[in-house]
Amino acid sequence: MFKFAFKNMAIKKAKIILIVISIVISACVGILAYNISEQVDSGFKTTAAYYDMIIGPSGSSTQLAMNTMFFTDKPLGTISYEYVEKLQKDTRVNKVVPFTMGDSYNGAKIVGTTADFLEGKEIDEGEMYSEKFQCVIGSAVAEKYGLSLGSTLVTSHGLTEGGHAHEGNPLTVVGILSETKTAYDNVIFTPCETVWATHEHSDDESEEAHADEQKETTDEHSHTSEDAHAHEETEDAREEHAEVCAILVKSKSFNAYSQLSAEYGENSKLLVINPSEVLREVLENVDMSTQIVYILCIIILIMNIFIISVITLLNMYDSKKEIALMRLIGIGMNKINLVYIIQNGIIGFISTILAFICSRLCLMLMGGYVASMGIVLDTAKIYPLEIAIMAVVFVISVLPTVVCTLNMSKRDGINE
Amino acid sequence: MIKINNVSKHFANETAIDYADLTFEKGKSYMLLGASGCGKSTLLNMIAGILSPECGTIEIAGEDMTKKSQKEKDRFRIQKIGYIFQDFKLIPEMTVMDNIAILRLEKVDISETDKVLDSLGILDKKNKKVKHLSGGEKQRVAIARAIVKKPEIILADEPTGNLNFAIGEAVIKQLIEVSEGKTLIAVTHDERLGKYFDHIIDMNQVTGGRRDV
Repeated sequence: MFKFAFKNMAIKKAKIILIVISIVISACVGILAYNISEQVDSGFKTTAAYYDMIIGPSGSSTQLAMNTMFFTDKPLGTISYEYVEKLQKDTRVNKVVPFTMGDSYNGAKIVGTTADFLEGKEIDEGEMYSEKFQCVIGSAVAEKYGLSLGSTLVTSHGLTEGGHAHEGNPLTVVGILSETKTAYDNVIFTPCETVWATHEHSDDESEEAHADEQKETTDEHSHTSEDAHAHEETEDAREEHAEVCAILVKSKSFNAYSQLSAEYGENSKLLVINPSEVLREVLENVDMSTQIVYILCIIILIMNIFIISVITLLNMYDSKKEIALMRLIGIGMNKINLVYIIQNGIIGFISTILAFICSRLCLMLMGGYVASMGIVLDTAKIYPLEIAIMAVVFVISVLPTVVCTLNMSKRDGINE
Repeated sequence: MIKINNVSKHFANETAIDYADLTFEKGKSYMLLGASGCGKSTLLNMIAGILSPECGTIEIAGEDMTKKSQKEKDRFRIQKIGYIFQDFKLIPEMTVMDNIAILRLEKVDISETDKVLDSLGILDKKNKKVKHLSGGEKQRVAIARAIVKKPEIILADEPTGNLNFAIGEAVIKQLIEVSEGKTLIAVTHDERLGKYFDHIIDMNQVTGGRRDV
């Protein structure tokens, strides 16, 4: 039975390929749309769920969340580092992570933060930075710019290429992160002190460039312990006036979060957000787009029900002679029906499997794009609704044949 | 033995053919002659259970075919009757073997296919697509498919209709050969082939042609 069904399919290759392509496209779009929306949704929620509060300067909640969690867009501005110190002393707080951003290296953003920010991220080579002007780079940055441990990189002011170069303060690569397929791969991490020092030096450079030049030539070999002490004091003074773009906070309890949120929220200069809530709002907007994709998928599926039905009916119409022939030599209608149902079942099964494979290939291809938002698409992740979509597609591809053959059984092909 | 008693077949309730009683014996070959529309092919189709008469009985080995359901008639046809159609009824895109293998759908034993194809001189064409065969070769494939299942009755509707006389004669000779011990009923217009059959039946006389209902 199967052998004959395969042979019968082999003589109608062109038609069958058309049917398969038609089913694969519609099913693939449906599966892909659902899978991506679910993974993006859960990816957003997982990323956002770790910290329950982000404090930044007043402005757009979405911009603050996206900039801090996914390094997209520009920071809203800066707030005093004193808030970080105050929060660090607060017993209601579990973890406080400062976050600064403003420089870049050939377009790769430089984030000034503590090692806590990279907790859970694996370092492939080297170690975590421990001093100013050291940095840990994302895997994609290392690969793209051919950087390795010990490499030095000159950062430039601003988040895009072409800014003023901080030539006097190159960063040294001390660690390279393992590939995460997230936005972390494209970022350079360094202590906040590096960012502050770089900008202090940068400001000094412009003002005292000539004076320093002269002074350095005369005093080059005459540094004393007094000078060193004076330098440390200057550093402390700088940190006192240091600023950060945002503070990520993980509070000890929901109660603590509520109190902290209310306290800091009162300050009109500050914006306090719950990243999960903000991202949920973003997702609601994304959800609209997802719903449009779903509607399109449903339209495509309905169109395909129509197309597959028409193709199947035409196929069956073409097969009338064949069926009449089989009836004349004595093949029962039940057997003939079974042959065509098996045939379309095979087409449906192969198409569904191909659609699934195509959806995974598309997921792999789209993974890079979504990764820029900080979300890793897992090609192995299968949702129950995806299986349901595949089942529906399979039924759709077999159903017209069943209807057609049942109809023919009533009339009996022998009279065709 | 096949017995045709008081059979009448109507066509779209406009015309009808009434058959005089006929008997076909086992081991004999019969040639049905007659003008077009006198009911030769209709008789074969009724014996095969493809058509059902409006009245009368068709007995085969004591069983009344007209009383059987379509399913039973199909079963009988696939097991006991080898039918060679005028237009071959082969699937052109399939190979000779595949066309014969269709019978396997009804679990018919086709283990002697090679032997039959060899006896008909087309064993070398076994894996060729039917569409690439000549008319004579196609007719032989149709014969092979009809006889490979060792039927008790062989019905042949104008088996030489598409062939020139020489090839047609060769085909009839082969058909007579492979039908030994079976009942062979063949419809043909060519009286010259009559010498190869045990009996020649003039269907014009049997039915008197079509009448209006």
